[in-house]
Amino acid sequence: MTVLYINDEEVTVPAGTSILEACRENNVEVPYFCYHPELSVAANCRMCLVEVEGWNKPAASCCTPVSEGMKVVTQSAGLEKDRSMMMEYLLIHHPLDCPVCDQGGACKLQDYAVEHGVGRGRYTEVKRLPSDKDLGPFVNTCMTRCIHCTRCVRFADEIAGTGDMGVLNRGDHMKIDGIVEDALASELSGNLGDICPVGALLDKPSHDVSRPWEMTRHKSTCTACPQGCDIVIESRADEVMRIRPLKGGVEPWICDRGRYVYDAFRSDKRILSPMLRVGDKLEKASWDDAIEKAVTMLKGKRVGIVFSPDWSVEGLAAIRLLHDIGLENPKVAFDLHRRDSRPFAFDEGLTMTTESMEQVDQVVILGSDLRQRFPILMQRLRKRANLGKPVTRIGAMHYRTNSEIANDALVRPRDWYAVIARAMDQLKVLGKTAAGMDEWMGKVEARHEAGKLLADALLADTCALLVGEEIRSHEDAAALIHGLDLLMRAAGHAEEGQDGRNLLPSGMNAQLLSAMFNGTRTAAGEVFAAAIAGELDTLLLIGSDPIGDGLFSRKAKEALAKVDLLQVGSISGDMVGLADIKLPAAAYSEIEGTFINMEGRVRVAENPLRSLGEGRPLWKVMMRLIQALGHDVPAVNLTEMREHVLTMAPDFTALKDIWFAGKAQEDFIPAQRNRKNVFLPNVAKMNAAKGLDVVGRYSMYKEGAWVRASKLLAEAGRIHALDDVIVHPDTLAEMKLQAGDLTIMSNVGAERFTVGTRTDVSPGVVFVSKRGTAGDISGETSVDLGGGQ
Amino acid sequence: MSAPDKPQFSEARLAEIDALAARYPSRKSALMPVLYMAQQDFGYLSMDTQKMVAEVLGLRLMEVREVVTFYTMFKEQPTGKYLLEVCTNASCMVNGADALYAHMKNTLGIEPGQITEDGLFSINEVECAGACAGAPVVQVNNMYHEKATATDMDALISRIRAGEVI
Amino acid sequence: MLSSDPKKVQRICFANIEVENMNKLEVAKAHGAYAFLPTVLKDFDADKIIDEVKVSGLRGRGGAGFPTGLKWSFVPRNTGKPTYLLCNADEGEPGTFKDRDIMRFDPHLLIEGMIMAGFALGVKDAYIYIRGEFLHEYNVMCAAIDEAYAANLLGDNILGTDFSMNLMMHRGAGAYICGEETALIESLEGKSGRPRFKPPFPAVEGFYGCPTVVNNVETLATVPAILEHGGAWHAAIGRPNNTGCKIFSVSGNVNKPGNYEVPMGTSLKTLVEDYCGGLQHGTVPKVVIPGGSSTPWLTAEHYDVPLTYDDIMKAGSFLGSGAIIILDETADLVAVTRRLAHFYAHESCGQCTPCREGTGWLERVLTRVDAGNGTEADLVVLNDASKHMAGRTICALAEGAAAPILSMLKYFPDEVRAKLAEKSS
Repeated sequence: MTVLYINDEEVTVPAGTSILEACRENNVEVPYFCYHPELSVAANCRMCLVEVEGWNKPAASCCTPVSEGMKVVTQSAGLEKDRSMMMEYLLIHHPLDCPVCDQGGACKLQDYAVEHGVGRGRYTEVKRLPSDKDLGPFVNTCMTRCIHCTRCVRFADEIAGTGDMGVLNRGDHMKIDGIVEDALASELSGNLGDICPVGALLDKPSHDVSRPWEMTRHKSTCTACPQGCDIVIESRADEVMRIRPLKGGVEPWICDRGRYVYDAFRSDKRILSPMLRVGDKLEKASWDDAIEKAVTMLKGKRVGIVFSPDWSVEGLAAIRLLHDIGLENPKVAFDLHRRDSRPFAFDEGLTMTTESMEQVDQVVILGSDLRQRFPILMQRLRKRANLGKPVTRIGAMHYRTNSEIANDALVRPRDWYAVIARAMDQLKVLGKTAAGMDEWMGKVEARHEAGKLLADALLADTCALLVGEEIRSHEDAAALIHGLDLLMRAAGHAEEGQDGRNLLPSGMNAQLLSAMFNGTRTAAGEVFAAAIAGELDTLLLIGSDPIGDGLFSRKAKEALAKVDLLQVGSISGDMVGLADIKLPAAAYSEIEGTFINMEGRVRVAENPLRSLGEGRPLWKVMMRLIQALGHDVPAVNLTEMREHVLTMAPDFTALKDIWFAGKAQEDFIPAQRNRKNVFLPNVAKMNAAKGLDVVGRYSMYKEGAWVRASKLLAEAGRIHALDDVIVHPDTLAEMKLQAGDLTIMSNVGAERFTVGTRTDVSPGVVFVSKRGTAGDISGETSVDLGGGQ
Repeated sequence: MSAPDKPQFSEARLAEIDALAARYPSRKSALMPVLYMAQQDFGYLSMDTQKMVAEVLGLRLMEVREVVTFYTMFKEQPTGKYLLEVCTNASCMVNGADALYAHMKNTLGIEPGQITEDGLFSINEVECAGACAGAPVVQVNNMYHEKATATDMDALISRIRAGEVI
Repeated sequence: MLSSDPKKVQRICFANIEVENMNKLEVAKAHGAYAFLPTVLKDFDADKIIDEVKVSGLRGRGGAGFPTGLKWSFVPRNTGKPTYLLCNADEGEPGTFKDRDIMRFDPHLLIEGMIMAGFALGVKDAYIYIRGEFLHEYNVMCAAIDEAYAANLLGDNILGTDFSMNLMMHRGAGAYICGEETALIESLEGKSGRPRFKPPFPAVEGFYGCPTVVNNVETLATVPAILEHGGAWHAAIGRPNNTGCKIFSVSGNVNKPGNYEVPMGTSLKTLVEDYCGGLQHGTVPKVVIPGGSSTPWLTAEHYDVPLTYDDIMKAGSFLGSGAIIILDETADLVAVTRRLAHFYAHESCGQCTPCREGTGWLERVLTRVDAGNGTEADLVVLNDASKHMAGRTICALAEGAAAPILSMLKYFPDEVRAKLAEKSS
C-alpha cells in the first residue's frame, strides 16, 4: 500500500495505482476523456493533468503511478488554465452542433466545456471535416465530433477482439477509422456508442429520436441469455428507447442481442390481450371469457406443460402451484435444449463468477460456441487470454471467438466418452482417482487424444470446466456429466471454495428450476411424444416457443397439430395460427420480480415499465387459472408468492434474506452439486447411430422468441448469417462426395440440401444452422449423407 | 465484371519475407520492410496490396492501414518513375529551397500528387532530409543531390527525359 | 559533404572520417577497427564496461544528454527475458546530419560500438533503426554488417568467444517522431510511431515488453575509444560533466556548413568563425538554434557561449543533438518560424490533444501572420497555444514545436508585429 496526499488529505491506495484511480477511489474529481476503467491506459487526452509537488510540469494522472508521500494537487489556477486550454484545443475542430447531437445532455465534452472551458473559442482558421463511416446497423458516426481519445479503438482491440477500429494518419489529420464489410464484426458493437465520451459514435437505432433528459430509467435484468446482465431500460413514457448496461453493474458491457431486443416489445408478435379462437381466426376476448374457455381445456384433461425458464422466480413458482394444485398429473418440461432429463451429477449453473474466470489457472471449454451463446462470458475469457492465461477448448468446431485459444481440439459428440476416458487414464497414472472412476472407464474402450488436453488442464491448481451445449444436449448427457464429475473429483476441483464444475444452462433461473422441478420434470421431447401418441388433450405453453427454439421443433409441430393449445406469454413466437387461446403475461421489462442468473446472482426488479395492453404478471395469470379451476388461491400478492418460493426451495436462504431482510443483492444461489446417482456410458447406443453426428448451430441474433420479433436483430442476423449446412472437406472426400447439393438421410426422411465445407469443423460432423434451410435437421443427433439421385 | 489481377508476391519474395520475419521477435516487425518490398514490386500500396501484405504477415488489415497512413514514405497513390523531393525546412529554406522548389514545379508543370504526362516525374516538398550542410537538398528516389541549384535540376530532368537512368 | 578540420584537434567519432574506403572492413581494420574488441570480449565484463562508460562521463548524443553508463546500469539483469540494443539512427531533428556521416564513412565504428555495448548488456539481438530517406547509408551499413558477419565479428560465438549477437538494419519510413525512443520501439514493432508514456521505461519494458537500451549512433560510436583508452581518458577531454568531443552539425547562413567534431567547451564563435568560415552576411548571427530546431533560440549576446550541455542550458536552451542552425541578418524569422511550425504540425503523431490540435492551429495562425493577415490577438493565441502544449504531452515534440514560436515572441516581437495587418501603435 502507498500513502499519498491528495489536496492535503492523506489517502492510502495499493502500490502501482495511478493518481487518477487514487483520486476516483477517494471521490476527488479529476476530469478525463480517454481513461476508461475497463480499457488500457492511453494517456492521450491530457485532460487529467494534476500537479505533483516538486515536479516542474503537470502530470497526466491516468498514467502516473502513485509513490510514497507524493503530494498531489487537483485544483489550482495553473491547472484551471491548462484545462481551459485543453478544452480549447479539443473544441477548435469540434462542431457547435450540441442542439442536434444525441450526446447533448450526457456529454463529457459539453460538461467539461461548461466547467472548464471559456465562453468563446479563438480559432478562426479552417476546420477539419473528416467523413462519416458506415459501421453497420448499430453504430452511427459523426466523425467531426471525434476527439481522438481512442476508447473505441481500444475497445475493438481489447474487448471485442476484432481490431476493426484503428487510427489512420497522424497530426491533426489523424482520424479514427473502422474497417467493416457490412457491420463491425462484434457482438458487442453496441457498446461503442456508450464508451464514446462525445457524440462521434452514437447508438444508431435510437439516433435522432429522443434526448437523454426525456428518458425514464428502469433498472432491470436482461433475460436474453443466462448471463442475466444488469441493464437499464430507458423509456420515454411507455416506449422503450434503448437498453444499456447498468453503470457499476457486474459486467461493464452488454451484448447486441440483449441491447437491441427492445424493439420486440412493440412488435406485432406481442400478446397484448386475451385471444380466443373463433373458427380459424383468433379474436380479442375479455379476460373472463378467455379464462372460462381455458378452464374447459384444462379441467379434467390430460395436460402437458412446457414453459420458458426465463420468467421471474415468482412466475416460475406460480407455474409449479398450478401444476400441483390446479391440474391432475400433468407432464411438465421447460428445457428445449436437453434430451436427457435424468439428474446430472452437477446441474446447470456455475460454481464461480464469470469475473473470477479471468483469474483461475486453467479454463476448459467443452463443446460450446461461447461467443454466440454467452458473449459476455466469452469477453471475460478474452480478457484472460489478453493477460496470457490459457484457455483450452474441446468441441466439434473451432468456434470463432476473436481470442487466442491456447489448446484447441476437434471432437465429434460421440467421441466424448473416449475423451473423458483418455483424461481418466492420465489422472489415474498420476495416482489421482475417484470412487467409481474405474467402473466408468471400464465401459469405454476407445481413447481420444483430445482427452490429454483436458487432463493437462485439470492438473493445474485451479481449473474451471465450462461444460457446454454439445454435452448438455447429448442423448447420454447424464453419463458424460457423471464422467466429468469423476474427473473433477479425481483432480481435486470439486471441493467447496474451488469447485470448477460449471454446466452452462440454456436459460435463466437454472438453480431454482433444478430445485423446484427435480423429480417432476420430464424432457420436452417426451411431452411432445406423448401428445403425438394421443396421451395428452391439451398443451399449455407458457412463454415457450418449441417450434422456433430448441431441439424438438419437428416433434412440437406434429404434437400441436394433435392437441389443443393454450398459450400464456408476452410474445407469440412461431406458433402462428396454432393457439386456441392466448393469455397475455407481462414482459420481463414490465414486472416486479426476481431473477437468478447462471452464476446464482439474485436480481430483484423494482421499478418496471407499465405493462402494455392487458398483460398481467405471470404469477397473477397462474393464480387466476387456479381459482377458475375451483381451488383456493394460494397467493394474492408478491409477498405470499415469495413465501411459496421459499417453501419449494427451502435452501435458498439468499432469496429470503434479500426479500424479507432487506439484504443487499450479493449472495449467490448455489447450483445443485454432488448428486449420488451413477450413470454409466451407453456406448452401444452411440455406435448404433447413423454415420455422421449432427451439431445444431444457433445464431445469437435468431434464437428466442423475443429476439425473432426484433427487426434490429433480424438485420444483424442477416449480416452475420451462419452457414446452413457444413461439413469438413475430409468427410466428403472419404465418402467420395463433393460439396454441393447432397441428400441428408435422417429420421426426418431423405432430403436434398446444399452442403458446404469448412476446415475448422470436426470431421464426421454435420453442422446445421437452426434457422437455416435445413433447420428441422438441427434437432437430430445423427444422419447419413448421400450423393445426388 | 472481371476483377483486375490481385497483387501477389513472387515465391522468391515470400521466402525472403519469411527469412526476414524470422529475424524479429515477432512477425509484425517485418511490416515496414515488407511494405517497402510491396511498394517496389507493385509501384504503390493499393488497398489490394495492403490486404495481401496483411495476409502474408498474418495481420489485420487495420494494422497495415495504420502503418501505411502514418509514414510519409508509403504511397497509396502511384507516383512518377522518379520522385523528386525537395527539402524546404529551415536550413534549406535560408539557402533558397523555396525558389528551387517553385522552379522545379514550373519546369515539370506539375503540382504535388500529380505525375508528368510521360509518367516520369512526381514532385513534393519534404521535411528535413538530414543533410543540411548540403542545403538545399533534393532527393531523387532517395538519392541525395546536395547544394542543388535550378541549373543542376534542369540538367538532371533533361537527362532523365532523354532516357538516362539515374 | 564533409569539411576538413583546420585545427587538428582531438577527434573521436571522426578520427578516421576522411580515410578513403573506411567503410570497407579491410581498410577499417588497417586503421584500428576491431583491434581492441578481442580484449574487451576476453578481459572485460559487463560491470567493467559500464563502469568505464560511467567514468568517461559520456552523455547521450541524440539530444537528451542522459549519462550513458547510468542508462545501461538501469537495465535489470536475469529477468528471463532477452535484452535488446537498439541504435537510434533516425536522425530527423532539423539541422542534424552527423550520424549520417558516421554511417556512410565509418560504419564499422558503429558496429564495433554496438558489439561492445551489446556485450556489456548481454544482448542477443540488436537493431539499427535508420531513417527511411537514408537509403545510401542503409546500403553502406548493410554491406558493412555483412562483412562483419563474414569475419565472425557478428553472429554466433563472436571471435571464438561465448558471446553471440545479431545485428540488423531496419528502415523507418518518413516520421520524425520515430527518433523519440519509445516511438522508435513502437515503429520497430511494426506499428505507427506513437510514443509511449513512461513509466515503464524502455530499460525495463521496451521492445516487445523486454528490457531495451536505445542509444544514438554517435553515442555508440564513442564507446570503442572509451574502452580502449579508458573512461578517465575520455573524461579528461572537454569540460567536467560535459566530457569528450561532440560532433556539431552546423548549417544555415554560414559559409562552410558541415559536421565538425570538437572537444566540448569550444565556443560557438570559434566553431562558426574558425571552422565554418563565418557568416554569409554580417559579423554576428541574428539567431542561433543551438541543438536542432526544437531547442529555444539564442541570439547575438550568446555568441561566445562554450558548447557544453551546461553552458547552453544556462544560456536558456539545450545542446540537443548538436545541430546548430545559424540565421543571419537576412533571415525572415516569421517565415522561418512558420516553416518550422509546418514541420511540427506535419510530424506530430497526433495522439495527445494539445500537440495534435496545437501544432496545426499554430501553423495556420503563423501562415496567416506571415502572409500579412495577422492581428495583435493572434500574438496572444500564439503564446497561449504554444505554452500550454509544451510539457503537457507524452513526448517532447510539443515542447520542440513551441520553442521557436516562444523564442520569436520573446526576442523579436517587433519583427512579428511588423507583419501584422493592424499595426499596433
